[in-house]
Amino acid sequence: MRTRLCVAALLTCLAPSRAPALELVDGKLQVHGFASQAVLKSTDNNYFGNSPGTSFDFTEIGLNASYQSTPSLLFSGQLLVRRAGEMYDGTPSLDYGLVDFTPISDTERRLGVRLGRIKNPFGLYNETRDVPFTRPSIFLPQVIYYDKIRNALLSYDGIMFYGDRYLEQGNLSLNLGVGQSVIDDNVEWAYLGDDVEGDLSAEGINWGIGSLWFSTPADELKLGLSAILTETEFDADPESFLTPGTINVFDWVASFQYNAADWTISAEYSRAPTRWNDLGPYFPFEDQVLEGYYLQGAYRLRPNLEIMTRYEEGFANRHDRDGRELSDLTGGTTPRSDFFSKIWTLGLRWDLDPNIMFRLEFQRHDGTYALSIRENPDPGDLVREWDVFAASVSVRF
Amino acid sequence: MISRRSFRNILRLLLGLGLGCASVHACPQDLIAHGDTGVETLTRNEARLFFTMRLKNWPNGTLVKVFVLPDNNALHNRFSNEVLGLYPYQLRRVWDRQIFSGTGQAPTTVSSEQEMLDRVATTPGAIGYADGPVENPSIRVLEVR
Repeated sequence: MRTRLCVAALLTCLAPSRAPALELVDGKLQVHGFASQAVLKSTDNNYFGNSPGTSFDFTEIGLNASYQSTPSLLFSGQLLVRRAGEMYDGTPSLDYGLVDFTPISDTERRLGVRLGRIKNPFGLYNETRDVPFTRPSIFLPQVIYYDKIRNALLSYDGIMFYGDRYLEQGNLSLNLGVGQSVIDDNVEWAYLGDDVEGDLSAEGINWGIGSLWFSTPADELKLGLSAILTETEFDADPESFLTPGTINVFDWVASFQYNAADWTISAEYSRAPTRWNDLGPYFPFEDQVLEGYYLQGAYRLRPNLEIMTRYEEGFANRHDRDGRELSDLTGGTTPRSDFFSKIWTLGLRWDLDPNIMFRLEFQRHDGTYALSIRENPDPGDLVREWDVFAASVSVRF
Repeated sequence: MISRRSFRNILRLLLGLGLGCASVHACPQDLIAHGDTGVETLTRNEARLFFTMRLKNWPNGTLVKVFVLPDNNALHNRFSNEVLGLYPYQLRRVWDRQIFSGTGQAPTTVSSEQEMLDRVATTPGAIGYADGPVENPSIRVLEVR
């Protein structure tokens, strides 16, 4: 714990007050990065580590490079180191790595294609969800941007076509992509509830994403609709109590944002019909419609000082919002309150300068649906009503 | 008919506007570009496309190089608000989305207005902004309609 405190202290000391981005080859090659350390304390339940005993297990470091070789050709990639409680241990991963070709680009339209590992343009925040400076708070709204299954939304390997149309009334933007999803152990824990004998895997093209955005010319109003369609295979080991099957998810989100000089209002609504097929008689769930929504307001007291508040609700099944039926399916071993989360958030953001940011945050939770099962394996230990305090320091260049 | 009071109010308003403009010298910030770009005027929407890094080439095919002052610089704030009609935090949000999702780049941040003039004068395809008259033959002041 002491070493991580030192890391946080070092972060603030090392960051030059005006760190310019690194630029090479006449500015065509840019290198950017960020680092962030948070500390959490919760009244109950494990949230990003052993939070009842104060957790420092939330560290994010990213380093990226991009090369604009011609106006129509861009290469880019980012390495990410992320430590998040029991969910991520800090092993470096390729966050994205792509080539972007824009054959048509003028003052009226832009058409292009990306190839490689691509971040999913899902909702307002998913594309840059691990960059603290781009988030509205230390924690994203968990009822839509689940950290417990972050990799199920994060990125995919494949191709994406994009088009922008610039009009007097505003800008339209369309993204359409297909490829293969990136699956990890957390996805297994979230969808199967246990580290089961067998593996989840992506076979062939199992991922489709589309998103459509409209914004007024000065970006005051932003409206969006994003959707992901995916199928994941489960290959059961011979000794597994499950049989081989598939999991189908159709996840969509409608997004709204209004930007004024001093304040920003954001709201999103998401639904994800999820179907588990052929997993055998011992797997309790078949059909669920996950649902989540939030309303969020941010007010800038000064350009570098912002307060925010958010209310969000999320349900494992929108047809069973009090969790009664799902709890009964587990024979009552998992309490009803593990199938919903209702969360109030209050946050403060202070940008000491454009490259150093401090945050304080308080959350009051009713329900434990937002928690990772991997971090809280015994449902008997869950506490329905709990609070979290968090603070973070983030630097960038 | 205009009453004496409303006449006085109108006078006060006009005076206020004139003073406001003079006191914050808000009027003469200019969009500037390197002389080789072959462009003399831009619409506000076109200027936004350049500064949000979505339009990367000039009509003659040259790569656009955008220069800006730091986010908390007063001239940057005035240029963003009054010429582009965008709040500075919105520009930052667009650039961050691009550089941290790999879908684009960010402008080059310079540390002073003098460095801005030097870089725009010496970089082919450069675009930036300046406060007040510019007397450098390599820099062209662009009119924003």
